Amino acid sequence: MTHLGMVAVATGSAAGVAVAAAVLAAIVSGLVTCRVVRRRQTADLVDASRRLGIDATPSAADDPASVVAALERAARLARAEADDVSQARSRVQQALDSLPQAVLITDATGTVVERNTAAEAFVSARHSDALVEAAVAELIDRALRGEPASRTVDLFGPPRRVVVVTTTPLESDAGRAAVAVVEDVTERRQLEAIRTDFVANISHELKTPVGAIGLLAETLESEDDPVVSARLAGRIQFESLRVGRTIEDLLELSRIELGQVSVLETVVLDEIVREAMQRIGPAAEQAGITLVGDAVQSGVVVSADRRQLTSALSNLLDNAVKYSDAGGTVDVEVSERGDEVVLSVADHGIGIPTRDIERVFERFYRVDQARSRQTGGTGLGLAIVRHVVANHHGTVEVESRLGEGSRFTLRFPAGPGRGAHSVSAPAASVLDVRVPDPIPERLSP
Amino acid sequence: MPEQRKTFHQELDEIRDDIVRLAALVSEFIPRGTDVLLSNDMQGALDLIEADDELDMLTLRIEEQCYHTLALQQPMASDLRAIVTAVWLTGELERSGDLMVNVAKGARRIYGANLDPRLRGLIERMSEEAGRLMKLAVDAYVERNASLGAALDDIDDGLDQLHRDYIEAIMESHAIEGLSLQAAVQLALIGRYYERIGDHAVNIGQRVQYMVTGWMPEQTGAARAAARASAVELSSALAEGAPPAP
Repeated sequence: MTHLGMVAVATGSAAGVAVAAAVLAAIVSGLVTCRVVRRRQTADLVDASRRLGIDATPSAADDPASVVAALERAARLARAEADDVSQARSRVQQALDSLPQAVLITDATGTVVERNTAAEAFVSARHSDALVEAAVAELIDRALRGEPASRTVDLFGPPRRVVVVTTTPLESDAGRAAVAVVEDVTERRQLEAIRTDFVANISHELKTPVGAIGLLAETLESEDDPVVSARLAGRIQFESLRVGRTIEDLLELSRIELGQVSVLETVVLDEIVREAMQRIGPAAEQAGITLVGDAVQSGVVVSADRRQLTSALSNLLDNAVKYSDAGGTVDVEVSERGDEVVLSVADHGIGIPTRDIERVFERFYRVDQARSRQTGGTGLGLAIVRHVVANHHGTVEVESRLGEGSRFTLRFPAGPGRGAHSVSAPAASVLDVRVPDPIPERLSP
Repeated sequence: MPEQRKTFHQELDEIRDDIVRLAALVSEFIPRGTDVLLSNDMQGALDLIEADDELDMLTLRIEEQCYHTLALQQPMASDLRAIVTAVWLTGELERSGDLMVNVAKGARRIYGANLDPRLRGLIERMSEEAGRLMKLAVDAYVERNASLGAALDDIDDGLDQLHRDYIEAIMESHAIEGLSLQAAVQLALIGRYYERIGDHAVNIGQRVQYMVTGWMPEQTGAARAAARASAVELSSALAEGAPPAP
């Protein structure tokens, strides 16, 4: 007997029985309703899970808790996957940011959706970069039409640059997007030019005098006039001296290029200046140029290879004399500024055009071919200077203005023990502040 | 309505971006034309003359866009000044590009002339200074910097001085170095082209001032002219014994 039955019996009344029956019916109905609701909820949850692609089979048809537990597991997995995706995205972004090339990714409408740090320069750009930005926009349009495209943009700046823009379509289920890569190839182009010019120049520098000697000798062979013969012999001597100088300079450059600092000693820079000026003095006198600086008494000391340093300074003085007009002066100054020794050679001659300044330290590079031949230079002097300075852990800078003159400034670590040591670092990696030289090490054929 | 204003401001941004691109093309023309001149690069001269077509095309496109926006959007106040300024700037920039085309043509006319180092150096410096002025003018425009725009007039003094030195150097070169008269005249014209580019940059600076503040330097002169006219009217009225107009 149920509790209600007992109540009804206890009360002993028909009304009590009726009330008990009604309550019992309500409880049973409630229980049934609850079960139906739970079944519906479970079914709804299973349906929703299926739509989300989650396998959430309940343990019983009216057990929503098991479905909820499955959903929670799925949510945890989803969060973990989202974290993984976020980390992967961050890694990809960092990798893109580390690239020297600018990378821009657009959606199907051409709107940039991703870009790396290098690409910031081409967003709302002005001056030369605005032209790169325009080229990127134009090529992205083509990529969005399904055509991969590439263009080289020459920029006069300054600074002068060459930029290659490449775009590629990105196909996906969501539609066609595009990626643009902008690469600055200025340095690469310069290296290509140096290589090409070097081969052409060395061939010319050696072949021209040898060819001339052959031709002159052939003429001399059939010449009877002693005056003409003497003139031809003189020319042969001149040309052989020229080719001899070129070979000597090449050998000297090769020795220096290998970083061989043969005798490292404490050198008073004033002595180097005097020695170099004595070497160039006769040529300067002949050209009517005054060398100012032989009375330098700075007392500045460096650890250096005396022979190399004298060679470098002599080359600078030789150039200054060659490219000055008669009556001009060449100034040599030595000073010590903090931890460095500064040696400068300034002339008031014809100067170097801006476009050539970056290249004057290349082997055989000549600003003015005709004038260089006329003055008898080998085209190796400044290359020697560059390597000597690098061997001594120094830098070389050049400031020049056409028609006003040039100033070459060499900087070395000051004092004995603080200067060069036994073997120096490769030249190209050490060089100057204002005159980057892209010549690779061991370029010589 | 908000959507329409957004479109309008997008149009203004596009006009500004196109002006920046036009100015970048002109700024590139300056060192490029100088390189053509100093290296006797005849192919470069031809390329530059042809490249001017692109500049003209962009100029026309910007002008049309400006007129289109004026007609359809009927802008007011600073928006109106921005569009009017853009129209002015296209003229200044297009003319500057033409001047560098003239330099390239001048280089063809004096092909083979031997320029002494001082002349070459002064040409390089005028080119650098003209390029610098043009870039500063563009900076003033993009940054809406009226002060920088106003300063361009004084900054241009450096280019004017270089131009004077250059003319002296041409005369010296003609008298001493034997530079031919024809080459001297062409070189003098070329110097003038650089100097004019500086003037165009100054004009851009003044237009930027107008765009930002609504004031133009010509207004000072106009106010002086109005004051003078008013004074004349007053004095003639006094001479006739009639009371001055209220």
